[in-house]
Amino acid sequence: MFSNYLKNYRFWLLSLALIAMLMVFVRPTQNQPRPIYNYTFIIDITRSMNAADYQLDGQAVSRLAYVKHSLRGLLAKLPCQSKVGLGLFTERRSTLLFEPIEVCQGFNDIDAALANVDWRMAWAADSRIASGLLNTLQMLEKLDTHVVFITDGQEAPPVNPRYRSDFAAVKGKVQGMVIGAGGLQAVPIPKFNHKGEPDGFYRPNDVPHRSTFGEADLNPEKIQGYNARNAPFGSEAAVGSEHLSALQEGYLQALSTEAGLHYHRMTDVEALATALQIPEFAVQKTTAVDVRWQAALAALLLVACVYGGLRPFPSWSLGTGGNNYLQNRKIL
Amino acid sequence: MTLAMDTPWWLAALVLAVLPLFNNGIQPSAYPWLVMLPIDPVSQAISVLLRGGAMAAIAALVLGLAGLHQTGQSRERIGYGANIVLLLDRSNSMDNTFAGKTPDGADESKATAARRLLSDFVRQRPHDLLGIAEYSTAPLFVLPLTDNKAAIQAAINATATPALAYTHVSKGLGMALDMFKDQPLSGSRIVLLVSDGAAAIDPDSELQLRLAFKRQNIRLYWLFLRTANSPGIFEKPQDPRDDNAGAMPERYLHLFFSSLNIPYQAYQAESPDAMQQAIADINRLEHAPLHYLERIPKRDLSGDCYLWATGLLAMLLAVKFFEVKR
Repeated sequence: MFSNYLKNYRFWLLSLALIAMLMVFVRPTQNQPRPIYNYTFIIDITRSMNAADYQLDGQAVSRLAYVKHSLRGLLAKLPCQSKVGLGLFTERRSTLLFEPIEVCQGFNDIDAALANVDWRMAWAADSRIASGLLNTLQMLEKLDTHVVFITDGQEAPPVNPRYRSDFAAVKGKVQGMVIGAGGLQAVPIPKFNHKGEPDGFYRPNDVPHRSTFGEADLNPEKIQGYNARNAPFGSEAAVGSEHLSALQEGYLQALSTEAGLHYHRMTDVEALATALQIPEFAVQKTTAVDVRWQAALAALLLVACVYGGLRPFPSWSLGTGGNNYLQNRKIL
Repeated sequence: MTLAMDTPWWLAALVLAVLPLFNNGIQPSAYPWLVMLPIDPVSQAISVLLRGGAMAAIAALVLGLAGLHQTGQSRERIGYGANIVLLLDRSNSMDNTFAGKTPDGADESKATAARRLLSDFVRQRPHDLLGIAEYSTAPLFVLPLTDNKAAIQAAINATATPALAYTHVSKGLGMALDMFKDQPLSGSRIVLLVSDGAAAIDPDSELQLRLAFKRQNIRLYWLFLRTANSPGIFEKPQDPRDDNAGAMPERYLHLFFSSLNIPYQAYQAESPDAMQQAIADINRLEHAPLHYLERIPKRDLSGDCYLWATGLLAMLLAVKFFEVKR
C-alpha cells in the first residue's frame, strides 16, 4: 500500500516543496560579499545653479532642483550599508552638513536633508569652483569617503589663469568624481530680491566679466590704457557673457584630471547610478544576505507543478484512471 | 498600518494561485458510473478545503517572495521622550577658545567643546527625537527630527569642519521652528540654541518669530558660550547710550526671548566645565515622563508568509497519506 505513494509524482513534489520550505527556516541568510559604497555629495548652491535648463515631468526645473531629484533617486538604488554624507559648496569652500550615514537606516533623514537643500543656504556669494574643489578635497582628506562634487563649473567672477588652484597636494589622496550639471546652451540666471522672490534675470551689467585681482595674464603691450600700478587690466570695461550660464564641461574635465577625479555629466538617475557604482569606488563587504527567496521559489515551482498537472518526467505514474479526468471532476 | 512590498513585480506570480481551481492535485480514481454516487456535502467541503489550502499556500509563497511588510506603525509609550532641535552656531568665532584665541592644544575651541558635550548629551537621551539646524550668515537645514542617533552623531561630528561666516540668528531660529511644523503634537518641543554671540533681530522676523514660538509651543534653552571680555547676556551697559540692540545684541536677544512668554532658560557658560553643567541641567529638567508615539520601523511579514506556506504544504502532504487507491 505504501508503494502507492512512492509512485505518485504529486507526493514527491509536495515532499520536496516541504523540504524546501524547511530550508527557508534552517538557512535564512547566507554570507556573501557585496559591493558597498561611501560617498560624500558636495552640492554647488551658487546662483548659477538656479538656471533652469533641465526638464522634469515636462516642466523646466533649475539645475539645483534636478540635482536634488537625482540624488534622492540615487539613494534608493544604493545597496544597504552604503553610506552617504552631504555638504554644500558656495563662495570658495564647502561645509559638511553630516558625515556619511548608512543609507537604509537613514534613508528618510538623508532624503529630507536633500529635499531641504536650497540656494538660500549660501553663506556668501561668489562661485570659485576650483578653490572650492581644492578646499573640499583637503577638508575630506581624512574622511574615508569618495567625494562627489556636483557643479555647473560657472566660475564667478572668472578666474585669472595666472592664479589657478594647484591640486598637486591632494591629487591621488582623495578619490571621487566631479559631476557636471546643466546644459551646454548658455541660459540666463534667475535673480531674486532680498525677500527671495523671483526678480527677473541677471543682466550683463550685474556681473563681473573678468577677474581684476592681481596682475593681468595678458601681454601688457596689448592692453588698452595699461598702467602697471593703477590699471593692470587696462581702462576698457570688460564685456562678456558671464550673466549667462552653461555647463563648463571642458573646464570641469580639466579640473577633475588635475585633481585625479572622474568626471560624469548629469543626465538621469540611471546613468548617475551606473557612473557612481564603479568597482573603483566599491568596497567588498561580507554581509548576511537574505536567501530565503531561493528555497521559497523552488517550493513555489514544485507546488505549481503539482497543481498545474505537470509531471517532471512523463514516465512518472499519473495514477490509474488518468484518463477519467472528467469523471473525477464530477466526484469532487 | 499599511502593507507594502519590497519587489511588487513578484505579485504577478499570484496567477499561479488559480491553478488549484482547475486541478485539485488528487490522484483520480476510475469509477464505473459516476451518477451512482450520491452528492456528499462532506466530500465537497473537503474538496473546497484542499483547493483553498493549495491556493493559500501558493499565495503565501508569492507574498513572501514579494517581501510583504508592514509600515507606518507606531506604538504609544510613556517615557522620557522629547523633540529637540539643536540649533548650532557655525560662525567663525566658534573656532576660537573661550579666551578668544586660536586653539593651541591646551584649550579646546568652543566648537570642539560643544561637539564633545552635545555628543554626550545625545548619547544620554536615547528616546528623544533630535533634529539639527545650523546657522551662520544663512540657515542650514541639516537633519529633520529623527530617532536615528547615528545620523545625529554624524552631523555633530561634521561640525569639526571649519566654521563659516557671520551670525544671523533670526534666520536660524526660523528654520529650527519650522522643523516642528509637520510633527505631531506629542512630547515636549525644545529648541536648544548653542551660540557664542548674537545679532540684532530685524522687526520683520521678530514678529514672525513671536508668532511661531507661540504657535509651536516651544521650550527654549539658550546656551551662550561667552568669550572673555565680551558682553554677557545679563550685563547692563555702564553707559546708557550703549543700551541698544546694535551695541549689545546678546543682552537684547535675551530680553527678546524673555518677552516671548514661553518656558525659556538661558545659560551663560564661560568655560567647557560651565557648559557641561548647563547641559546636565537641561538633561535633568527635560526628564519629565511624557506620552509619546514611538515609530516602529517596517515590520517584515515575509517570515510569517513562509510559515503559513509551510503549514499549508504540510497539511496538503499529510492529506496525500489518506488517499486511497482502489
